[in-house]
Amino acid sequence: MEMFEHLATGFVAAASVQNLVFCLIGVLLGTLIGVLPGIGPIPTLAILLPITFGLDPLSALIMMAGIYYGAQYGGSTTSILVNMPGEASSVVTCIEGHQMAKRGRAGSALATAALASFFAGCVGTVFLAAFGPILSKVAQQFTSPDYFSLMVLGLVMAVVLAHGSLLKAVAMVLIGLLLGLVGTDVNSGLTRYTFGIDGLWEGIDFLPLVLGLFGIVEIIRNLENPPAHRTPISTRLRDLWPTRDEFRLAWPAAVRGTGLGSILGILPGGGAVLASFASYTVEKKITRQPERFGNGAIEGVAGPEAANNAAAQTSFIPLLTLGIPSNPVMAIMMGAMIIQGIQPGAAVMTARPELFWGMVASMWIGNLMLVVINLPMLGIWVKLLSVPYRFLYPAILLFCAVGVYSTSTEPFMMVLMIVFSIFGYVLMKFGCEPAPLVLGFILGPLMETNLRRSLTLSRGDPMIFLDRPISAGLLIATLLVIALIVFPQFRKTREVAFQED
Amino acid sequence: MLKVKSPQDLGAGIMFLLIGLAGIVLGRDLDFGSARNMGPGYFPLLISGFIVLIGAVVAGRSFTLEGPAIERLQLRPILMLLVALAVFSFLIKEIGVVLTSILMMVVAAYARPNVNIVETVIFAICVATFVAVVFVFGLNQPMPLWWNG
Repeated sequence: MEMFEHLATGFVAAASVQNLVFCLIGVLLGTLIGVLPGIGPIPTLAILLPITFGLDPLSALIMMAGIYYGAQYGGSTTSILVNMPGEASSVVTCIEGHQMAKRGRAGSALATAALASFFAGCVGTVFLAAFGPILSKVAQQFTSPDYFSLMVLGLVMAVVLAHGSLLKAVAMVLIGLLLGLVGTDVNSGLTRYTFGIDGLWEGIDFLPLVLGLFGIVEIIRNLENPPAHRTPISTRLRDLWPTRDEFRLAWPAAVRGTGLGSILGILPGGGAVLASFASYTVEKKITRQPERFGNGAIEGVAGPEAANNAAAQTSFIPLLTLGIPSNPVMAIMMGAMIIQGIQPGAAVMTARPELFWGMVASMWIGNLMLVVINLPMLGIWVKLLSVPYRFLYPAILLFCAVGVYSTSTEPFMMVLMIVFSIFGYVLMKFGCEPAPLVLGFILGPLMETNLRRSLTLSRGDPMIFLDRPISAGLLIATLLVIALIVFPQFRKTREVAFQED
Repeated sequence: MLKVKSPQDLGAGIMFLLIGLAGIVLGRDLDFGSARNMGPGYFPLLISGFIVLIGAVVAGRSFTLEGPAIERLQLRPILMLLVALAVFSFLIKEIGVVLTSILMMVVAAYARPNVNIVETVIFAICVATFVAVVFVFGLNQPMPLWWNG
């Protein structure tokens, strides 16, 4: 089996002492930040991104992936114990998980979440190993029009899955695209929107943008509206194991969630958020005792937690094979890869197999560490919830500043970060969600290049996007998605799903 | 008399209009080219145009669709945080990462009312030590530890 050979290569690369240590640090730090109420994976990744810079590419990516899983897991912990989702994909976990906690089953809910995630992580890893190479073969068939249509679909999906107003989300994507174009035009060599500032020649730097929009704005948001103090529900470690009955209900849900999540994760625009909502809906539909839902049904924890973890894994597939991030979290991962000098895409797998397979293997290792190390450390994470915010935020701010400074000692970087903090603040006041902007920002130059190539090929005829079967299929999918939004019933579901408490 | 029903949308709409217009005005010297041979101005102007369009719709809609009010601006948090960032970028080259970090965190602490200065300074010293150890010794980042570089 070729797949196992590849995986073996990966494990050899990932299991070096150095990489294991970085994976562990990533998982721990990710949990540490992710556990803080209101901080989801995007700000967590942004805040911790700088500490990976000094590392070699594989270690850096392994650590980033570890941070991502850690952040997700930390988010579930907060959801269950304090009923405060740190991220959209934990919203669902809040519903049933917190109810379970109230009934004294917090330990069981946490263990179920961790075990379901681990199971999904294992399947997701195999899925990635099996489908990665296949998709990268498909990717070789992709031409410029196909890439362009794929990005259109991805951006439309990002809009659908964003919080709040659709039109505003579209505008955010477009503003992101525009910001992504700042700098030197690769085709003509002319600079665009640089105002004669040297620091903008190579485009707006990713890190000050993300840290400003997410890290610093998040602090300001919490200072302006201090989150109501909610005491976490205390849990004893020996209550951790699910009962036999709970286990019997949970495992089929975890299996269904894993399947659903693995598939939804690959889709453009898919990912953890979509998967967890879908899984919750499915569990609620097929249960024989619908009255249990909303009152702490364990399937409602196992299913969505498995789904979001599986999707988190498989959403690496489009990034690693096509070089296109399918959601804002992946956009940050792509930013991290580019900073490391790796252009994500099918070439990574052939040119640097140890990097691709090492990352795949490290995902499994990271998931294992989450269960083996994090679960027993639960007490510490819960303690962390009681650290007052007045201590936390100056430290987070300092990390943002040191992070930016350690990538570039140019004072201009700090200016950029300040500008994006102010911009992010204005966006917050006007009710605009910045996540789609990041996706647009990363895709801007790619989209322009592929649009230009396509139209040059077709001598300016836009029909080229419909003549190519792959591209046409993707555009039809895009239309379907748009039709779904216009369709009132779905629209209502979306509004309910994204209502903030 | 037109009545603003959704102040957030009006604000967002105007902001989109301004950004889109800025994209068009600042990019007016870029060669537009044609679909067949896209110039450097083609894609940016296309996008800016769409942003203006959406800005107009969102702003217009704010007179008909009910929406949330804009939350009150609180100047203290954002100002102090930005001052803290400025302090960091001005001082790091001069007095090194340890003192800069402490100063920055003390300034940042004043983003909230009722600061306990003793507690803040002690905590800032701990975090600054941690940052120095991790970033300067652990990750070998190029930043001076003290003022003598």
